[in-house]
Amino acid sequence: MSTASSPHLDVATPERVALTLPVAGIGYRCLAWLVDASLLFFFWIVAYFVFTLLVSDVLGVFQGLSGLGQTLLVVGVFATQWLYWTLAEVFFHGQTAGKRMLGIRVVRMDGSPVGLYESAVRNLCRAVDFLPMAYAAGCICMLLTRQHRRLGDLLAGTLLVREERIDLDKYTAAPAPSAVPPAAGDTRALTSEEVELVLAFLARAPGLSADVRQRLGARLVDRVGGLSGGEREAVLASPERLEAFLRARARAEG
Amino acid sequence: MALPLPAFVAKRRADWDALQSLLARQRAGDLRLEELRTLDTLYRRAAADLAHTQTFYPGTDAHRFLNQLCGQAYAAIYQPPRERWPAVRAFFQRDFPRTLRRERGFVGASAALFFLGLLLGALVVLWEPRGAELLVPPGVRQYVAHGRMWTDDILSVAPPNSVASGIATNNLTVTIVTFAMGLTFGLGTLYMLVNNGVHIGAVGALCIREGMARGFFDFISAHGPVELSIIVIAGGAGLMVGQALIDPGELPRGQALALRGREAVKLVLGCAPFLALIGVVEGYVSPGSLFPTWVKAGLGLCLGALFWGYLLRAGRTEADVTAVLPADSAS
Repeated sequence: MSTASSPHLDVATPERVALTLPVAGIGYRCLAWLVDASLLFFFWIVAYFVFTLLVSDVLGVFQGLSGLGQTLLVVGVFATQWLYWTLAEVFFHGQTAGKRMLGIRVVRMDGSPVGLYESAVRNLCRAVDFLPMAYAAGCICMLLTRQHRRLGDLLAGTLLVREERIDLDKYTAAPAPSAVPPAAGDTRALTSEEVELVLAFLARAPGLSADVRQRLGARLVDRVGGLSGGEREAVLASPERLEAFLRARARAEG
Repeated sequence: MALPLPAFVAKRRADWDALQSLLARQRAGDLRLEELRTLDTLYRRAAADLAHTQTFYPGTDAHRFLNQLCGQAYAAIYQPPRERWPAVRAFFQRDFPRTLRRERGFVGASAALFFLGLLLGALVVLWEPRGAELLVPPGVRQYVAHGRMWTDDILSVAPPNSVASGIATNNLTVTIVTFAMGLTFGLGTLYMLVNNGVHIGAVGALCIREGMARGFFDFISAHGPVELSIIVIAGGAGLMVGQALIDPGELPRGQALALRGREAVKLVLGCAPFLALIGVVEGYVSPGSLFPTWVKAGLGLCLGALFWGYLLRAGRTEADVTAVLPADSAS
């Protein structure tokens, strides 16, 4: 929702507030799949090594295994293909381990959490999405649909939304007490875009190189400060004073 | 006049943080009843704040934050009812057979396609002996040429339980692919059904021509009826999906697909336990001469009758449910 063109899911709530959830694109989804797939892969590697540590004659054990044991083994292999995804999505609110790591979540088209049927459909359809190899059909489908849904999502009526980590501290961070902010030239209230601009600059300032930091800061002071002559020089004298001034201005105390 | 954004955030943030922590506890599942009421109140306040930011501070991080927070709270509050064991029982007692009866047109079409393939394969091999070279896998042809059943060796090479689990996964793959191929406008399902029919028909006809009809039916009779029924049902589910794609009716294609997909998957999920059972029969009972042919044929017919009896009668009325249940658990 940061830009009009980025895909999103609109949800109308009974509270008469429209929610706009950002949709996870193909990159997030591939990464989440990679995490899940490698997790399952390492699970089997570890299981195999533990098993070989415990018993020396692996083939012999397999052949001597009872019918129940072998059936369980096959069920275990099948579980990694299908049950893992479905159970994780149903019981962990639409998130497998990989999706949780990437901060994406499966939801229905109306924004509510997935149930058993939806999750079962979308994971059964992995068989088709995987065709002809490496999720080619699913990826093409994701590129063609507006909300990046693969075939299984289309059939199940689900999609993946992204959860961002948004830090509200920047709004409430107190100005450094050492630098006393000088009075501003005019005290008009800033628009919310200007506040966002200033706060974004303040959040990134420590990581900028010195001259860029000074140049950007000066332009922002000129835009929001309304200072002239000596006052402006005083504010621009050091980065600390400059940023303290901007912070105070953004908090509308200037 | 609206407050400046930082002042607004500072003023309202305590409520948002409280809502966030309540949501985290709701996910963990240790929420008390009083807290549930607080959650509701806080969600309404946050929704009001979201409306406020939409008007006065659009496109800011505060807007994005509230949007996400309300999205999470909305998902937590307006949850669909959770499926649990009673729901699973109700599914097998009523929902699955009823869905199947409602969609019998598709299952019938799927069965017709399958039998068409069966007939086609059989006729080709019976009329034109060289057709077998095209339709029957070379390994099977070799066995038949030597006058033996290829299935006799399944047991001598591998123990029966590994055969059972191998067959179960193979059947599972065929079933899932037959269903999921419905996404190709039903063409993939059509192909799978006809193709499977042609193969089975061709192998059967070849066996009959070579005078091994007895061996073939001996192998297929125990598990065939139920297994082929399940593949036909999965094919019906695939055709439902294909139909929703080709002719969505009044709905947009995407919505029709989602609606029909949920119905179709019930058929596949319902078949899953029966598929596992029949895999065991196919692995243990069908191959070799452990059981005489009449036992296998009787077992196959009984299982098929039970399966279809369950599908056609279960959940019809409340009185029928109790009568059919024992039959269900027995199959």
